[in-house]
Formats: sequence, structure tokens, C-alpha cells
Amino acid sequence: MPTELEKALDNVVSVYHKYSEVKGNHHAIYKDDLKKLLTKECPQYTKKKSAREWFRLLDINEDGAVNFQEFLVLVVKVALRAHEESHKHEGDGHRH
Amino acid sequence: MPGPHSPASALCLLGSEYKKMAAEMSQLESSLNTIIDTFHHYSTKEGHKDTLNKKEFSGLVKTELPNFLKCESRDEAEINDILEDLDTNQDQQLSFEEVIMLFAKLINATHEKMHEGGHHRGHDHSHGPGLGEGGQGKGC
Repeated sequence: MPTELEKALDNVVSVYHKYSEVKGNHHAIYKDDLKKLLTKECPQYTKKKSAREWFRLLDINEDGAVNFQEFLVLVVKVALRAHEESHKHEGDGHRH
Repeated sequence: MPGPHSPASALCLLGSEYKKMAAEMSQLESSLNTIIDTFHHYSTKEGHKDTLNKKEFSGLVKTELPNFLKCESRDEAEINDILEDLDTNQDQQLSFEEVIMLFAKLINATHEKMHEGGHHRGHDHSHGPGLGEGGQGKGC
């Protein structure tokens, strides 16, 4: 049986496919679907940049779509922000 | 007058969003939450509260990643190799910034695994189980 952590890692893959399987190549997230992903999955961590800026940043090979490895760049960035955020609340009684 | 999107109110929003219940979290948020909570569960055990020492990292790998790192998690020397590889500033501790690269690699590996054995990547896109369930593939 997978552990909670392992399930969480598998779930990140599911998040990708939720948006990559919408159309076209099933391992590609196109600009409009990336916008949906950013708005639905992690708005508070990504709102400093527009969806367009995120797309340009993530589409490293400039092929007009975000592939799985490029999506992982977003996951790492959001995870780092979420970790930082978790420490901002230590003062008000939040404990790990 | 500061509008609803002024920096101050944006900060308040961040605060309130952080405390929202698990049910309100997106799939990505709750996954990352589990990753961060698991990291803190081990990082706070001893020494620096926000880094993993060798013992803490070994505990995390053995207990939380027994299927994803099936072979490695049985061998202390292998675990140490992973730690040294991740410890890019070479302080014998793993910060969240360092350990997130392991999680990214494992997410990539479980995705690869899902496409093994006749599960297509193209228009017949389908997935088998990831690293956590069912066939473990190669033995240790």
C-alpha cells in the first residue's frame, strides 16, 4: 500500500493529466489550459505573474506547450512558496 | 484608499487561504501540503527544525517512501548516497529546497512507471499504477 506521501506524489501526476488530456497531445498543456490550471490549482502562489508570463517561463523548449518535465518546474516553485508560507504562521499558534 | 487588491489585503488573503480546510484545497495544494507536513514531521525531530539530518532523512525514506524507493530504503549506504547527492551546499543537512528535488524526481519516476507495459502516451493515452502500487518491476 502506498503511504500518504507516495499518494501525494502520484496525485501531482493526476493534476498534470487533468489539464494535459483536455486536447491535442496528451502530454502537453496549452496556453489556455495552463491558465485554468494556475487559477484552479494554485492561484495564491502564482498570481504575481500573469498566465502568459508563466507560460513563457515554463515552456523552456519553446514548442508552444508545457510538457511534464516543464510542469515539474512549476510544482517545485509552488512547493517552495507554500513551504515559506507555512512558516509565516508560526507566530499565531500554528505548529507543524 | 487601498483597493481590494492592495498589497496589505493580499497578505491577509494569503493568511486566510492558508488556514482553509483540507476540503477546500485544490488537488495540487493538498498534495503539496502533505509533502510539506511530512518534511516538517521529520525535520522537527531533532537539531535544526527546518532541515533533515542524516537520521531524520533516513527515517523519512524508510517510513514514507518504502514503495517509491523500495531498494534504496533497505540500505543505509544507499540512503546516504541520496542525501549526499541532494546536499548541494554540503552542510550534511537537507533543507526543503534541497529535498524538493528528490520529490520532483520521484514524481517524474512514478509518471514514467504509469506508462510502462503497454500504457500509451499518445492519443490512446492510458496509465498503469505508479510506483506505489502493484508491480514493482525490477527486484532489488
